[in-house]
Amino acid sequence: MENEGNKKSIKERTKAKHKEKQSKEMNESSNKQVAALFSHLEIAKGANASLASRDIHPAVLVIGLQFADFKICGANARCIATLTAFKKVIQDYKTPEGTTLSRHLPTHLSPQISYLVNSRPMSVGMGNAIRHLKLEISTMDIDLADDDAKLLLCEKIDNFIRDRITVADRVIVSYGLQKIQDGDVILTYARSSVVQALLLEAHAKGIQFKVIIVDSRPRLEGKGLLRCLVDAGISCTYAFLHAVGFVLKDVSKVFLGAHAFMSNGALYSRVGTAMVAMMAKEKNIPVIVCCETYKFAEKVQLDSFVMNEQGNPDEMVNISTTSTPKAGLLDGWLHKPDLKLLNLLHDLTPSKYITTVITEVGMIPCTSVPVILREYKQV
Amino acid sequence: MTGPRDLNAQIESLVNRLRRRQVVGSWSVSLETALLLRQVVSVARWNQVNVLINLVKDVGGKLVMAQPRELAVGNIVRRVLRLIRDVYNSEVSNSNTNLTSTSEEVEDDDKDYEDDNVIKSPPQKSKTYDLQSYSGPGSIISSSFFSSSASMINLLGDGSPTIISELQELINELENMYVNIADQAMEHIHSNEIIMTVGKSRTVEMFLKTAAKKRKFSIVVAETSPKYLGHEMALSLSQAGIDTTVISDSAIFAVMSRVNKVIMGTHAVLANGGLISVSGTQMVATAAKHHSTPVVVCTGLYKLSPLYPYDEDSFNDLVAPDPVMSFDEGELIDKVTILNPYYDYVSPELVSLFITNTGGHPPSYLYRLINENYDPEDTVI
Repeated sequence: MENEGNKKSIKERTKAKHKEKQSKEMNESSNKQVAALFSHLEIAKGANASLASRDIHPAVLVIGLQFADFKICGANARCIATLTAFKKVIQDYKTPEGTTLSRHLPTHLSPQISYLVNSRPMSVGMGNAIRHLKLEISTMDIDLADDDAKLLLCEKIDNFIRDRITVADRVIVSYGLQKIQDGDVILTYARSSVVQALLLEAHAKGIQFKVIIVDSRPRLEGKGLLRCLVDAGISCTYAFLHAVGFVLKDVSKVFLGAHAFMSNGALYSRVGTAMVAMMAKEKNIPVIVCCETYKFAEKVQLDSFVMNEQGNPDEMVNISTTSTPKAGLLDGWLHKPDLKLLNLLHDLTPSKYITTVITEVGMIPCTSVPVILREYKQV
Repeated sequence: MTGPRDLNAQIESLVNRLRRRQVVGSWSVSLETALLLRQVVSVARWNQVNVLINLVKDVGGKLVMAQPRELAVGNIVRRVLRLIRDVYNSEVSNSNTNLTSTSEEVEDDDKDYEDDNVIKSPPQKSKTYDLQSYSGPGSIISSSFFSSSASMINLLGDGSPTIISELQELINELENMYVNIADQAMEHIHSNEIIMTVGKSRTVEMFLKTAAKKRKFSIVVAETSPKYLGHEMALSLSQAGIDTTVISDSAIFAVMSRVNKVIMGTHAVLANGGLISVSGTQMVATAAKHHSTPVVVCTGLYKLSPLYPYDEDSFNDLVAPDPVMSFDEGELIDKVTILNPYYDYVSPELVSLFITNTGGHPPSYLYRLINENYDPEDTVI
C-alpha cells in the first residue's frame, strides 16, 4: 500500500515538473521571438489587479486596467484620466502621524505611479503632468490644514487640466481655423482628439472641405474618427496606409496629432505618422501638427528605436477589420522559431518633414520647441 | 496535326481565362502566352512574312484586350513579333547579300535609334545575324520589295522552323527565369544584413532562399494590408530558416534606418524605368530614398514593357473595398468613400538597380533593353 502511494506521488511530482518545464520553455521561446532590434523595449505585461499591493487606490486600479486593454487610448485622454484618478487618491488620503502632507504624499503616490507604468508605459504628457503635481505638493505651505491643502491640490490639478489641455485645445482650434479654407482637402492619420475637434469646429463654422482619413493596422483608430466626422455630416474618404501615395494627389493640407514633441523638434506620435509626413513632404503638401505645450519634452531623440513602445505582437495575427477577430496566416507564429512579429506603437518624425506646429501659444516652427520649454521654466 | 479549329479553341480558352483572372501572375501568363503563340506560328500557313506578323498581332490583340492590366501579355507578343522580324531579316540578308545596299536606301531613318553598328544582340539569340541588315521599319518596306523574289520560297521552308526554335528559346528563358535571377543572389547580399521586402514575389523568394544557403542575414517583411501578402512571404521565408520579422506598414519608416537594402519584386516595369508594383511599394521606396538605402528590384525581362506612364493612374486598379471596411460596419459604408488601390507607381529615381535574368542594370539602361527586344511599331497592339 505504501509503495503504491509512493509511486503515485512520484508520478504526480514528475508530471508537475514536466508541466513547469514546458511552461518555462514556452516563456523562453516567446522571449526569444521578440525582434532583436527592439529587445531593449519590454512588452508591457499588462495590468494584473490581483498582484497589486493593497496600497493601490481602486480608482488607479481601474484606469490601469483600462490603459492595458487600450480602452482609454490617446495622450490627452490618458492624461486627464490619470489626473482625475490622482485627485480621488488625494481626496481619500490621510496624512499619517509624525509627518507632513508635503513630505509623505509623494511617497504615497509613487506605488500608484509605478503600477500605472507597469500596465502601460507613461506618455510624455502624463510624465510632465505628474512632475508638475509633485512640484505643487512640495511647495505646499506647511502650516495649511490637511483638508485645505487637499482642496488646494485638487484645485491645482483642475487648473492644470483646464489650462494646459481643455482651454489649450480650444485655442489651438481657433488658430487652426485660420488654416482651413473652402475647397480644402484635408488628410489626417489615425485619431487625434485635437484634430477631431478642429475639423468638427471648422464644419460647424460652415467651411466647405473634405477629409481623407488614413488608417493603419492593427489598431484601426481612424475608424472611430470616421464615425465621428460622418455623424457630423463631413464628407469623408477612408483608406489604409498603403494607399497614401495614391490618395495624396488630391490633398491640399495634412493635419497630424502628437503624442509628444522632442526638444530637437522631432515629433513622437502614432506609428505611421512619419510615413505620412514624409510622403506629404515629397509632394510639397504642408504638414501641420496640432500639439499642446504640456506634451513638449526636455529630451532629444534621433530615431524611433531608443525610446518606443511595443504592443502585443498577437494583435498582428488578427486580420479582420471588425470586432470579430479572424486569425490570418500568422496564427501559430510562436511555434515557428525563425518568425517574429513586431508591433510598434510609436515612431519619430524628423523635424524637416513638419511645416508648422499649432500650439496654444501660437503657430511655431518645430525647432522652437526648446524655446517654449525655456519660457515655461522661467515662469 | 492541330487544325485551325483546335487552335481557335485554344485561343478562346486563354482569352477567357485571362478575362476571368483564372490565370494569375505575370510569369504564368507569359508562359501560357508564349506557348499559345508557338502553336499559332507552327500551325499558320503563310507565304509573306506580313501575313504571319498580322496573324500574331491579331491573336496578341485579343489576349491584350482580355486583361489590359496584365502588361506581360503584350510584352511576350512584342517579343515574338520582334523574333519573327529578326529571323526574317537574317534569312533575307544571308540569301541576298548583293541587294542589302539597296535595302538601306529604302529605309527611312527618321527614328532616333542608336547606331546600328553598336547594337549588341541579346545573349539568347545566336550571333549569325548580319548587323547591317537590321533596320526597324525599313524591313517591312524591303519585304514588299522582295515579295516576289526566289528567296521567299526558301524562307517558307527554312524560316518557320527557325522561328519555332527561337520561340522555344524564349520559352526556355521563361522557364529558367527564377534560377537565372537567383544565381546572382550571392553578389548582392553580405552577411548580417538586414533586408526589407514588401509583399510577396516568387522571384525575390527564390533570390533570398538561394542566398540564405550560404549567407546569414535577417529579413524584415512589410505586411501589405489589406492583402496581407507579406504574411505569406514571411511564412515561406521563415520555413527556409531565414530570420524573419513581420512589421505593419506603418512601421516601415521607423525601421528603415536600420535596413541595409530593400529588395522587392514588381508587377511590371515601364519604359522610363518606373515600376507598377503592389500598393505600398511607393511608401517603401520613398522611405528608402530618404535614408539613402539602395532599392533593388528583381524582375524578369518579360515584365519590361515599352509603354510610358504619361498618367500614373492609367495602370492602376481600384479593387473591392471589403477588406478595408466590410459590410459589417453597417450604415457607415453608405456615407463614406473607401479607396483600395491595387497597384502603386514608383518613379525611376527611387530605384537603384534592376536584377534581371540578363544581369544587373540601372534604370537608365532599360531603354537599350527595350530597343533590343521590341520593335517600336508594336508598342500599340
